[in-house]
Amino acid sequence: MKQWLKIGLLLAPGLGLILIFIGSVVYIAIAQSFGYYNLSGESGFSLEHWSKMFDRLSYTRAIGYSLYIGVASAFLAVAFAYPLAIWLRRPFAGSLFISAVLKAPLLVHGLVAAFLYINIISYNGILNQLMQALGFWDGPRRLQNDNGAIGVLILQTWKNMPFALLLLAGAVQAIGDDLLDAAADLGAGPFDRFRRIIAPLAVSATQAALVIIFVGALADFSFQVIAGPVNKQSLSQLMVFFKGYGRWNDAAVIAVTLMGLGITGSGILALFSRFVMRGGRLS
Amino acid sequence: MNTVSVQNVSMRFGDFTAVNDVSFTVAKGEFVTLLGPSGCGKTTLLNMVSGFLQPSSGKIEIGGNDVTFVPPERRDTAMCFQSYALFPHLSVAENLQFGLKQKKMLPADRKRRLDDVAEKLDLVAQLDKLPNQLSGGQQQRVALGRALTMRPSVVLFDEPLSNLDAKLRESVRLEIRKIQADYNLAAIYVTHDQGEALAMSDRILIMRSGQIEQSGTPTDIYNFPKSSFVADFIGNANILDATIIKEESRNSWLVSTEIGEFLVKSDTAPVAKQLKICWRPENAQHGGAELNSIEARVTHRAFQGNYTDLFIEINGVAQRVQWREGRLEDLTNLSMHIRPEDFTFLEAIT
Ligand SMILES: Nc1ncnc2c1ncn2[C@@H]1O[C@H](COP(=O)(O)OP(=O)(O)OP(=O)(O)O)[C@@H](O)[C@H]1O
Ligand SMILES: [Mg+2]
Repeated sequence: MKQWLKIGLLLAPGLGLILIFIGSVVYIAIAQSFGYYNLSGESGFSLEHWSKMFDRLSYTRAIGYSLYIGVASAFLAVAFAYPLAIWLRRPFAGSLFISAVLKAPLLVHGLVAAFLYINIISYNGILNQLMQALGFWDGPRRLQNDNGAIGVLILQTWKNMPFALLLLAGAVQAIGDDLLDAAADLGAGPFDRFRRIIAPLAVSATQAALVIIFVGALADFSFQVIAGPVNKQSLSQLMVFFKGYGRWNDAAVIAVTLMGLGITGSGILALFSRFVMRGGRLS
Repeated sequence: MNTVSVQNVSMRFGDFTAVNDVSFTVAKGEFVTLLGPSGCGKTTLLNMVSGFLQPSSGKIEIGGNDVTFVPPERRDTAMCFQSYALFPHLSVAENLQFGLKQKKMLPADRKRRLDDVAEKLDLVAQLDKLPNQLSGGQQQRVALGRALTMRPSVVLFDEPLSNLDAKLRESVRLEIRKIQADYNLAAIYVTHDQGEALAMSDRILIMRSGQIEQSGTPTDIYNFPKSSFVADFIGNANILDATIIKEESRNSWLVSTEIGEFLVKSDTAPVAKQLKICWRPENAQHGGAELNSIEARVTHRAFQGNYTDLFIEINGVAQRVQWREGRLEDLTNLSMHIRPEDFTFLEAIT
C-alpha cells in the first residue's frame, strides 16, 4: 500500500499533467461533438452535428483522402527507409556522412520544405526550365497542386523517411552478422534473408514507424495547404474551415473523427505489418 | 576425389595477416581437424571455406568447382557456428528446418529429418521452445543439428562442443562422427581441445599464427611432432636444447643436453647440429638402465587418479613425468631412464 502511494506520488507530476491536459482536450472535443460547450448557441446533448456531418460529401471525401495520404505516406517512407537501413547496417568509409545527410530533413521544418518544393516545381521553376533545356518537354507544365496529391506524398515521404530510417536502422543494426551469415549458409539469398530474418526481427520498429508516420500524415495540414490538390480537402483542412466560421461543434466532430481514425488505423496497420513481416503469422 | 581443396589461401585484414598461404584438401568422408591456439586463424579459414569471407588471395574448390567467388547461399556447405547464431524468433524445430525449407523440401521429408536429428542430439523435448529458453549446451546442439540436417557435401564445425559438460561432450562427439560417416560428409572441425582432436580426427592440421605448422594423422602428430610448438600443443612434452655429438650408428645419434648425454634413435635425421628435442612424460621408465639413465629430485607431485604427475629437477632443469607405480608419498629421489626411441628431434635452434 505504502509502495503504491510512493509510486503514485512520484508519477503524479508527469503523468498527472499529461492526463489533465490531454484528457481535458479529448474530453472537450468529444463533448463538443455531441453538442455540449456550444460557444454560439444552446448547449446540450445532440447527435445532430454527427448526423449532418455524415451527410456532407466534403466530409466523407476528406476521410478517404486523409486515409489515402496517411497510409501511402507511411508505406512510402518505410519502403524507402528499409533498403537504406540495410545498406547502412555495417559501417563503411563515408557511411556516417551519408546517414547524416539522409537525416537532414528532420532539421528542416515542413513548411519551409513545402515552400522550397513548390518553388522548384512552379510554372517557371527550375524543374520546368531544366526539362525544357534538356528537350524532354516542349513547354512549361503545371506541376503544382497536382490532382493525384503526388506533391503531398513526395513531401511527406521526404520529411518522414529519415524518421523511419532512424527507427529501422536501430533495429536492423541490432541483428548480428552471424545470424545473416547463418541464414546465407543455409541457402537464403539476399531477399530470403530479408524476408525470413530481418523483417521478423524488425517488426516492432516497422510498426512504430508506420503508425507514427500514418498518424502524422493523416492529420496533415501544411503540406496539403501549400502543395496539395485544390479540389480536395484533408480532414484537418476541413476542421480548420469549420472553426474559421465559429462552428466549433462541427470542427469537434472532425477532430474526434481524426482521433478515431488515428487509433483504429494504427491498430490495423500494426496488425497488418506484423502479419506480413512474420510471414503470415500473428504470434 | 577431394571434396574441398584450399589452395594457397591468404586473408589479410589491413596490415594484419590472419591466414597466410594455407593449402590443404579434405576428401569425401574424411574428418579433418584444425587445431591451434586462440587467434591463430581457424575461424577465419572456415569463414573462407563457407563463403562469408573472400580470401585476399588463393583459390578454394568444392567438389572440383572453383567457388572462391561463389556466395555462401550457393555453396554446398553448412556451418555450425562458434556463436551458435540461432534465429531468436524461430522455435528449435523451425531453426532446425530453416535450410530444408530454403531447399523447398517436402514437409514429410522435412519432418523425417527433423525427428532424426532431434532424436540423435537429444532435442526432442525442446522442439517447441525458443532459443533463449534453452541452456547453453542445448543451444549448441541446435546449432549442430541445424547444420547436420542439411547433409551438405562439406560440413564445418567451429568449436561445437565447447559448452557441453564432459559426459555430454563424449556422446555428442560420437554422434557427430556417426552422422558424418553415415552420410559420408567431408568435415572440417575446429577445436582447441587436443583430446577432442586426437579422438575424432582422421587427420589433424596444427595451425599457428595463420599458417599450418604440421599435418598428419593423430598418432603421427602425437608421436612425431616436427616442432616444439606442436609437441607442446598436443599432449605434454619435456623440451630440451640439444647438440649432436655424433652419429653413433645408423639412425642413432649421441646428443648432449643440459640434463646429460643421451642416445637418440630416430627414423628422421636431425635437421641441424643444434636443435630441440623432446620426450613425453609418460615415457619415463622405472629404474636405471645401461642407456639414458637419469637421477632426479622430485619437487612437487599431483595425483591424477590413474597416474601421478611428478615435477622433477635434473641438474636444476625442471621436467615432468607421469608415474604409475604405487606409493609415492615420500619419494624424493627418482631413478629412471628414457628409451632412445622415445626422444624426438624437433626444429633447429636459430
Ligand atoms: N574482421 C576482422 N578484422 C580484423 N581482424 C580480424 C577480423 N577477423 C579476425 N581477425 C583477426 O584474425 C585473427 C584470427 O582470428 P580467428 O577468429 O580466425 O581466430 P581463431 O583461431 O578462430 O581463434 P579462437 O580459437 O579464439 O576462436 C585474430 O587475431 C583476429 O583478431
Ligand atoms: Mg574461432
